[in-house]
Amino acid sequence: MEEPTIPEFLPGTLYMLILRTLASGPLHGYAISRRIKQSSEDALAIEEGSLYPALNRMLVKGWLTAEWGLSENNRKARFYKLTEDGRKQLERESSQFDRLVRAIQLVMRSA
Amino acid sequence: MNWLKELARRLAYLWRRTRFDRELDGEIEFHIQMRAEELEKAGMPRADAARQARREFGSSVRMRESTRAAWQIRFLEDLLSDLRYGIRALRRNPGFAAAAIFSLALGIGANTTIFSLTMEFLFSQPSCRNPETLRSIQIGGNSAAEVRDSRFLRDAHIFADVAGSFEEAEANWRNGEDTYRLFVMPVTDNFFDMVGVPLAFGRPIQRGERDTVVLSHHFWERRLTGDPKVLGKALLLDGRPYTVVGVLPRDHRTLIGFGYSPELYFPVLREDEPVSLVARLPEGMTRAEAFARLRVACKELNKVHPRGQNASWENGIRIAPVAGLERLDELGLGPFAAFFGMLMFVVGLVLLIACANVSSLLLARASSRRQELAIRLAIGAARGRIVRQLLAESLLLALFGTTAGLLLNVWLTGMMNRVQLPVPVPIQLQIQPDWRLLLYSACVALISALVAGVMPALKATRTGVSDTLKLQQRQAGNQRWTLRNALVIGQLAVSVVLLATGFLFVRNMTKALTMHPGFDAEHTIWAYVRLVPEKYFPEKHSGPEKAHAWIREALDQLRSLPGVESASVARAIPLNDHVSIGTDIRTDLNDRPVHADFNYNFVAPDYFKTIGIPILKGREFLPSDRSGAPEAVILNENLAWRLFGKANPIGHTIRWGGSPATVVGVAKNSRYFTLGEEDPLALYTSYLREGGSNANLHFLVRSSRPRDVVKEIVQTLGRLDASAAIEVKPMRDALGFAFLPSRIGAALLGSMGLLGLALASIGLYGVLAYAVSRRIREIGVRIALGADSRAIVGMVVRQSLSLVMIGVAIGLGIAVFATRPLAMFLVPGLSATDPVTFLGVVGVLLAVAVVATLGPAVRAVRVDPMTALRYE
Repeated sequence: MEEPTIPEFLPGTLYMLILRTLASGPLHGYAISRRIKQSSEDALAIEEGSLYPALNRMLVKGWLTAEWGLSENNRKARFYKLTEDGRKQLERESSQFDRLVRAIQLVMRSA
Repeated sequence: MNWLKELARRLAYLWRRTRFDRELDGEIEFHIQMRAEELEKAGMPRADAARQARREFGSSVRMRESTRAAWQIRFLEDLLSDLRYGIRALRRNPGFAAAAIFSLALGIGANTTIFSLTMEFLFSQPSCRNPETLRSIQIGGNSAAEVRDSRFLRDAHIFADVAGSFEEAEANWRNGEDTYRLFVMPVTDNFFDMVGVPLAFGRPIQRGERDTVVLSHHFWERRLTGDPKVLGKALLLDGRPYTVVGVLPRDHRTLIGFGYSPELYFPVLREDEPVSLVARLPEGMTRAEAFARLRVACKELNKVHPRGQNASWENGIRIAPVAGLERLDELGLGPFAAFFGMLMFVVGLVLLIACANVSSLLLARASSRRQELAIRLAIGAARGRIVRQLLAESLLLALFGTTAGLLLNVWLTGMMNRVQLPVPVPIQLQIQPDWRLLLYSACVALISALVAGVMPALKATRTGVSDTLKLQQRQAGNQRWTLRNALVIGQLAVSVVLLATGFLFVRNMTKALTMHPGFDAEHTIWAYVRLVPEKYFPEKHSGPEKAHAWIREALDQLRSLPGVESASVARAIPLNDHVSIGTDIRTDLNDRPVHADFNYNFVAPDYFKTIGIPILKGREFLPSDRSGAPEAVILNENLAWRLFGKANPIGHTIRWGGSPATVVGVAKNSRYFTLGEEDPLALYTSYLREGGSNANLHFLVRSSRPRDVVKEIVQTLGRLDASAAIEVKPMRDALGFAFLPSRIGAALLGSMGLLGLALASIGLYGVLAYAVSRRIREIGVRIALGADSRAIVGMVVRQSLSLVMIGVAIGLGIAVFATRPLAMFLVPGLSATDPVTFLGVVGVLLAVAVVATLGPAVRAVRVDPMTALRYE
């Protein structure tokens, strides 16, 4: 596997990435993984074996809702949509992540 | 609250699992196709692209599993699958399941029924609005105050409102040609409004009304045939017309509680009528505040309406809630509550026996399932998981048992609601299944599942795997202390305790029934006449002349009836009503006063002759003992002894309260209020001398054939005053009240004892039969080697009897202590450790044990040795 996959790469960031990806509008599972791959310029890939369990855990938590709809090529697909709770969770996680990254950068620069 | 929503989503998932799986499949398929299309666009041939996409996705099995896991409530899913498995297992073994469920249903049915009864009697809520701010209050140490006092307290504005109700009132209802005595509840005109009594239809009695009436449901239904157009109709009560304005719902409960259900409510008429007070506290008022305010108001009341010499209203103030434990405490109903506590304990024992039955059934089954369990353990099932599964099975049994038990409960309590207790006041139970019962049953089900299931489940999974797999069924030899034997012993011990209690109460009843009341109940008739008070005592201070004239006339006519030997009249009929007085008595022989609590009755001439109490010394009252004559008293033996010792009291004077009175006679001791009373004291004065505006007259008539003259007595009295309510019955029938406590005790505890015995016998039989069947091979060998079949039966019986003896011995030991607190419920002369009781219990249990053993033992020796040996 040439690309680093997310759960191993940065544990705990998978939810945040999915939430961020869905912030701009509902997407189906395949599109989520495409979007993450593209946005990271192919640096990040989500394993299918982690994507769907993660999406379902987020459904249980109430961050997402899922609805069946038609895909861009007129196929039936399941679209995931951010809820209000999900939006709040995204804010929480991304601000935490920012702090973490800044702290790591500070350490790396000072050393 | 987030976790709650999450739980709701997870629970919702449970109902759409199939759809969920289908949808996940669809999603996976979509994902793979999208990837394939992408690959195709990049230039890959279609077939290769599809294959490549599928390969990239990898195995979907694990992914599906972990996706599902995101939704699952692990514990619940396991439980559900255990329950499904349990149902299959029970279905395979319907005989076992039926026996276990039947045992539990009986145990739980009895248990929850007593629970319902206890709740109804001790903790039922009166029908009212906001019972939490309603308080019953007492002032001046008296349970009742006068209507004007209630009005005074209301106008003092110390509480939101104060109302009163007269709880022991009666009224004569004139219906066509007949007059009936009714139990009624006169209330102050603000009572309905303040208490907030719900009505079935119509409207309540409103402020300022004096001639409206609200009917109870049963009066409306039974006496007025449920007339739908009853509102606006007139009822003639005590000679006054009242208009029906409302009807109470069927489940109306009075503030008094205990099932007391008067037939109707109407407004109090007189300012001096006694009423029990009830107050509505303002929101948030504490008990201490209420108390302080009431005290101040009572001090004011002393000025307006003095309580009497040396007494004042602010002494003896009580403020009690209208429901709950605190109320029972305030009413001093400790022993009453203790009786129910004991009942609950006893039905707890019954349930314990039922659980032991199920437990031994489960044990028996576990040993026949030993191989299945061993295989599962061998291929890696965790022991905890198997124990949980076995427990799920007993939970299932408990659930079915509880459901059946609840049906039994509803049936039994329905019967109790319908039954009319033989008491002089109308008692109507209103037991309805409610959330308390459901909660209690759920707890009972859970506890019995654990009690019955834990031991067998642990036992079944403890055995070593290899032993069992080797199919080596150990033959039960002289291995005596198995768990099952311990269960039998425990069960026997508990049933000894139960039986001892039941037996004790049955003995108590038979003893009470044969106990002589000290008067002749066989040849006397009790004719109760209630005159309309307003007719004979138009003013509060009207003298008794009018009533006495009527009484004299009535007595003359009664005496002249054929078949009547004598007739008299009394204030109280023994064993039904009593007046008790505690005071100091002085005699002319002794200056030091003697304090005595005695039963007080005033009786007319011929009373002692009529009721059959012998006069030992002196004479009975004569027509000359009338008002104006010097006061005469008659003492019973006990009181005469207490006051005069060995001296002859005739002609001496005593002084209690008022003027001196001459002792004219000594009557033989008899029973006055309860059959169980010990050494009661009694003092009688002459009816014709006593004033008092009592419109309730108790005539006594002596006849050799009491049942034949009842009708003529009714007619004779009815002719004298058509507005009087008349009830005539032979004395024997009127004693029901006196026997009621012992009868109820015997009926309840006797049936519990029998139920316990039945359950224990089933258990005993099952266990012994099983034990013998496990020894069939051994017995076969013995017979093949030439053992005498009688010797074998003897051996089996001996072994089971030794179990029984151990159980009975332990049980007797416990019973001796456990029955000791029951002494307070028993008639005198019957000790809690009554030897007859214990001998009876042992005898009964031994008989059951012998029968339970003989059957299987005889069957065992009849088995052909060849069959027995080939058995395994």
